[in-house]
Amino acid sequence: MIDVEGLQKLYGDFPAVQGLSFQVGPGEVLGLVGPNGAGKTTTIRSIAGIIIPTAGRIRIAGHDLATDPVVAKSALAFIPDEPHLFEYLTVEEHLRFVGRLYRIGDVGARIPGLLDELDLADKRGALPGELSRGMKQKLAIACGLLHEPRALLLDEPLTGLDPVGIRRMKATIMRRAAGGSAVILSSHLLHLVEEICTRVLVMHRGRTVAFGTIAEIVAGRPELQSQSLEDVFLALIGAEETAER
Amino acid sequence: MIRVFGYLAWRSARNRMTRQLRHLRSPRYLAALLFGLAYVWFMIIGQRPAAAGGVTPDPRALELVGAVALIGAVAWGWIFGVERRVLAFTPAEVTFLFSAPVSRRGLIQFKLLHSQLLILFNALLWTLILSRERFGVSSWLRVISIWVLLTTLSLHRLGASFVRTSLSEHGRLGARHRIVSLVVLGLMLIALTWTIGDALPDIVAARGGGLRQILAAMQDVAGRPVPSALTYPFRVLVRPLTAHTSAAWLQAIWPALLLLVLHYVWVVRSDSAFEETAVEVSLKRALALAERRRGPGSSFRPPVKASPPLFRLAPLGWPAGAILWKNLVAATRTKRVRNAAIALAGAGAIVTVLSFDPEGTLAELAGWLAASWAGITIVIGPQWVRNDLRGDLLKLDLLRSYPLRGWSVVIAEVAASTLMLTAIQLSLLVIAYLAFLGNQTMTPDLEERTLLLVIAVIYLPGINLLGMLIQNAAALLYPAWVRLGTGRPGGVEALGQNLLMMVAFVALLALTLALPVALAGGSFLLLRPLLDGWAALPATALALGTMAFEAALIVEWLGGVFERTDPASAGIAG
Repeated sequence: MIDVEGLQKLYGDFPAVQGLSFQVGPGEVLGLVGPNGAGKTTTIRSIAGIIIPTAGRIRIAGHDLATDPVVAKSALAFIPDEPHLFEYLTVEEHLRFVGRLYRIGDVGARIPGLLDELDLADKRGALPGELSRGMKQKLAIACGLLHEPRALLLDEPLTGLDPVGIRRMKATIMRRAAGGSAVILSSHLLHLVEEICTRVLVMHRGRTVAFGTIAEIVAGRPELQSQSLEDVFLALIGAEETAER
Repeated sequence: MIRVFGYLAWRSARNRMTRQLRHLRSPRYLAALLFGLAYVWFMIIGQRPAAAGGVTPDPRALELVGAVALIGAVAWGWIFGVERRVLAFTPAEVTFLFSAPVSRRGLIQFKLLHSQLLILFNALLWTLILSRERFGVSSWLRVISIWVLLTTLSLHRLGASFVRTSLSEHGRLGARHRIVSLVVLGLMLIALTWTIGDALPDIVAARGGGLRQILAAMQDVAGRPVPSALTYPFRVLVRPLTAHTSAAWLQAIWPALLLLVLHYVWVVRSDSAFEETAVEVSLKRALALAERRRGPGSSFRPPVKASPPLFRLAPLGWPAGAILWKNLVAATRTKRVRNAAIALAGAGAIVTVLSFDPEGTLAELAGWLAASWAGITIVIGPQWVRNDLRGDLLKLDLLRSYPLRGWSVVIAEVAASTLMLTAIQLSLLVIAYLAFLGNQTMTPDLEERTLLLVIAVIYLPGINLLGMLIQNAAALLYPAWVRLGTGRPGGVEALGQNLLMMVAFVALLALTLALPVALAGGSFLLLRPLLDGWAALPATALALGTMAFEAALIVEWLGGVFERTDPASAGIAG
């Protein structure tokens, strides 16, 4: 569903991402983890078609993002860590706006269910200026889910949500994956990654440090057996830094 | 403490300049800089007239025209309360300085001094701009004269906004506190009303004799006691600019400096309102910037209730039409646009009634004003109406994630502001048309005026589209150098920059219109012997076709630029 091959992104001479390859199939949830500056956001934004990679190939649902961007983007949704909203469109108008962009004929029928799912039903006539930070985030998520994307990209999806919102968000992600969507999420919250991701890609300085299920990653390093993902993560990053010195 | 502020200002300015210069590594930015320097040279320095010869403007006339312009600027400040942004601190300044052991007044004075950077830059710019004319004694003295004028005007508008704040927030108590300011303002208002009533018949009577006659009538009026007293402080500010000898300049600069000092004292002694406003504006701005930093699309204005949209968006159709719809909805929910629409409708109704008055002077005046404004907006409109990529580029991340080709995003964005500007211009022209409706003796006659209105309906959308494309191209090609978002540099301090930008824009617009005009004119002359007046039809079609072709080429090119622009590298978002 999401196929990344030899992804590289240079900013001048600085390699933000280099030689990244992975696939995410339907129903899978891939967790992108790594320290600040590891290249997670650059990777997600490249897959979303926002950043043009220096090298490599990205395919969404079989469509090449470079040569067939409109069809490829129609199959994906990108939900950034901060809600990007238009200040003069109401909640419902945001959804109608996105519906037209993605050619959703039955947008009117989809809106009520989605607003209920994200607890926004009583805010449908409100402008973003009237919403709290968490509600804005929920609206951005609703806009992303409206066209039932087959590939879902989430950058720090729990930022700004309250405990109830976090629980709902986790359920929403898992429901989409169970429905056959391929999901990539980047997060510093390792317990979230451990809880909902089927596989993990650990990045450091633009490179892949480890990739696979947590069990597979730990299997390659017996000393990390029975440790938490946080300990595994710190050990992987620490080992990488030691190797670089 | 001054050293700390100095360190902050100097390092910030230096690093900002370094960052801007770093963009010159891109050939696109380097070419723009070289072009800009060449432009400034040819437009200003290269065309400086020879030392001898030429016509020296009449200093008295210049002084009067300058004073009238200043009265307009001051009135604008009192009515709309601008300049408070001068006191707006950045979020970092709020975080670091407001909690530091620094007096509030010290901070505010630092901020006022800081605002001098823009004023000084514009004083230099105006000195260059005016170097072609025979103003003043020497360039250095001209810089000082312009600096005194701009600083005083800026301080005056700041003081005006404090009085407004006092009145709106403290009511009667505020009025009592500002009694001296209000008495002076009231006297000036009475004098202004009396002057307008006294001068209007003479100036209207002189309009048939052209600009010279109007100017002579204005000078005659200005010589009378009340208008003379009213314009005195404004003429004092302009006088150093018109002085032609060092002695005359020295004689003129002291009263101007005194006026500046009085304004400074007036503003700084506005104590509590001064400080309250500074803090309030700073906190609002800090919140706005923090919001913007958290997410380019997040709200950075106080919440407003949504009015029903202009029209409903159909779920299916041209996908990028959603962007056009969004921009039009946003415009109708902006207070400024709503007020403008109400004002235009009201003005239309009033002038229609007035046009049938046998005297008809007021309607005629309104008609000329409306027609002139419609013409002026061809040039300044594309800089004012910004509901397009200039507003949305801060959300480039979001736009780029949509399943749309770059060219369709560009055309949808630009179409919104083109439609809005055309609607404004046509409304003004309809007002002018209605104003002259009852006039049977006027040239052009009613039939010709109707034809002119039809021509405007046909051509204005195309001209505006090309104008908007030029403005959006600048934003897309040079996002690091163009102010993005709906705001733009304003106020008297930024007049010089805006003027230079406008001249460059007019040159580019003229360049894009040259081919359609040449083709239409040529075909009209060729076909006229065969088709007579009907030759205008193929000529119009050719002009519109050429404009459409040019627009299509620009849109296609900008679409490619949009698709290739990296938000992070361009310094826009992310």
